[in-house]
Amino acid sequence: MIPHLVTVRHRRRGGRWLRLYVPVLPVLLVLSPLLLLAVLAGLVACLATRVSPVGALRGAGQLLSALPGTRIEIEQGRTAVLVSVS
Amino acid sequence: MNEQRRQILEMLAEGRITADEAERLIDALQREQPESPPGAAPRPKARPKYLRVVVSSDDNFGGDGPGRVNVRVPLQLLRAGVRLTSLIPPEALTHANAELRRSGVPLDLTQLKPQHIEDLIEHLDDVTIDVDQPDTKVQVFCE
Repeated sequence: MIPHLVTVRHRRRGGRWLRLYVPVLPVLLVLSPLLLLAVLAGLVACLATRVSPVGALRGAGQLLSALPGTRIEIEQGRTAVLVSVS
Repeated sequence: MNEQRRQILEMLAEGRITADEAERLIDALQREQPESPPGAAPRPKARPKYLRVVVSSDDNFGGDGPGRVNVRVPLQLLRAGVRLTSLIPPEALTHANAELRRSGVPLDLTQLKPQHIEDLIEHLDDVTIDVDQPDTKVQVFCE
């Protein structure tokens, strides 16, 4: 299952939080023309480097589906960045 | 019958404790060691799903105060990444080997099979790394 929501939180020096919620599926739909181009470029790259395109697509899919649950928190003093994929 | 229960019954038989005391002791023993129902399989240990890396530092970099890094990565993501290594073309591995050798690291990446790395990740479950310094603490574990 692909990630549903990517949450990015940024705490500035003043202590105020900036929260950004990115719904993955709608964003993918909006960017689908660019995504198509990227996939085509990837296929060409695979053929040029003699890498199996099917294997590469499958690997990318597995990576994408394994992303939910990832959480990265970095705090330094009063500033902080939190990224979570759910 | 376990050893402790046998000892209690022996003490009762020898008259060193009363029946009430023996009952209380056996009750306490059962509370300490809850018995699983006969025939029930032992509960399997839950497999960890995430690799956690926690770094806490009291160092005051740039005058901002102490720092903390907390990363949680699904083990499934590591497995998926490892599977991608099988896509690396042999020519790239040869080039990488040559560069590594030139840098003084005689490592043959062609000998590193995806199965080996997958086995490594399978056994990450039991890994716990704790590095303690007066001002920095690093923990790597699976949960």
